[in-house]
Amino acid sequence: MSNIDPKVLRHKVENINTLPTVPGVLKRLSVVLEKPRITIVEISAFISSDPALTTKILKMVNSAIYGFPGRIASVSHATMLLGLNVIKGLLLGVSVFELMQKTMNGLYEHSLGCAIASRIIAQKKGLKEPEEVSVAGLLHDIGKVILALEYPAEYQAAINEAQAKNISIYDAENIQFNATHANVGSWLAEKWRFPRNLIEVIECHHRPALAKNAPLETAIVHIADLLVRARGFGFAGEIFVPEVNTIAYELLKLSESDIKDVLKEMEENMESAEDIS
Amino acid sequence: MPKIPVSKLEPGMKLAKPITAKNGMIMLGEGTELNATWIDRIADMDIVNVFVEGPPIQTISKEEALNGLNTRFSRVEGKPYMNAIKKIVKVHIEGLYE
Repeated sequence: MSNIDPKVLRHKVENINTLPTVPGVLKRLSVVLEKPRITIVEISAFISSDPALTTKILKMVNSAIYGFPGRIASVSHATMLLGLNVIKGLLLGVSVFELMQKTMNGLYEHSLGCAIASRIIAQKKGLKEPEEVSVAGLLHDIGKVILALEYPAEYQAAINEAQAKNISIYDAENIQFNATHANVGSWLAEKWRFPRNLIEVIECHHRPALAKNAPLETAIVHIADLLVRARGFGFAGEIFVPEVNTIAYELLKLSESDIKDVLKEMEENMESAEDIS
Repeated sequence: MPKIPVSKLEPGMKLAKPITAKNGMIMLGEGTELNATWIDRIADMDIVNVFVEGPPIQTISKEEALNGLNTRFSRVEGKPYMNAIKKIVKVHIEGLYE
């Protein structure tokens, strides 16, 4: 059984800036993200002040994950096109990339695949802001990064336990931490003032029936997550495909050809997406 | 579109994605047919891999791919909708080897 108090865990997550294991770039980003009234101009200036970050953001917005026609050549153009919330999410996504590589090999590929799949499903379902759903797909497992970073031994134990006991990593996390990556991710998203829908998608992507504000978006990320695992892209702590939530599946009513299209687009775009690093 | 190392480029291959300099400036556009000169120039740039047109190259055999699929779905055999999803993914994976 676990001896980690979820309250302590939450406190740690909410004070992520003080954690010694968290790299500087994320701390600087955290200071920007938690400002209550940050403007698009400030975000744009923050990105532009860092050439490496600028390159990463531009690669990302020009990649298959977003699929904009034509080339976006400047950060200010990208921020205007995508809006504050999407840019905030992207900024976080590209900033945790290296951390994902270090903490869980394959998690970044899993997240990219999920971002692509989420966008395509969102477009098929006619959602107004497919980019926001895509960002939710990109960030849905961010809690895993924090758990694996702060508690490497315990997280490895959770992975081993999931394997040994034939349970999901989600359940194994619950045993180890009395909380899951979904909780941790949503605490972070809350701290960083992400929109309510995004917080809910992260919180509920394993239990989409609990989503109150954004049931459709949550169902999309739930199914996208499952399809990426089904195809075998990346690694999210276990190799097994989880059981689909029937409520989410029936809510989306994806046809066979819809699912085929998602797989096809993912296939075509994964390699180029991995090049974003 | 396969991503291949610069050393494996051959004249006649077409770029599936533009080659850009570090600052994002496009040096060679998408669809450019490579000749020996371009390949030399690309080799002189600080680039490791290049995207060329063509079907993706599979790194594992079809058998391995399908075995992997079976393993991944082994916990959810017979659960609602899961067999249908697996079938679609199976057809998709088989299609990659045709």
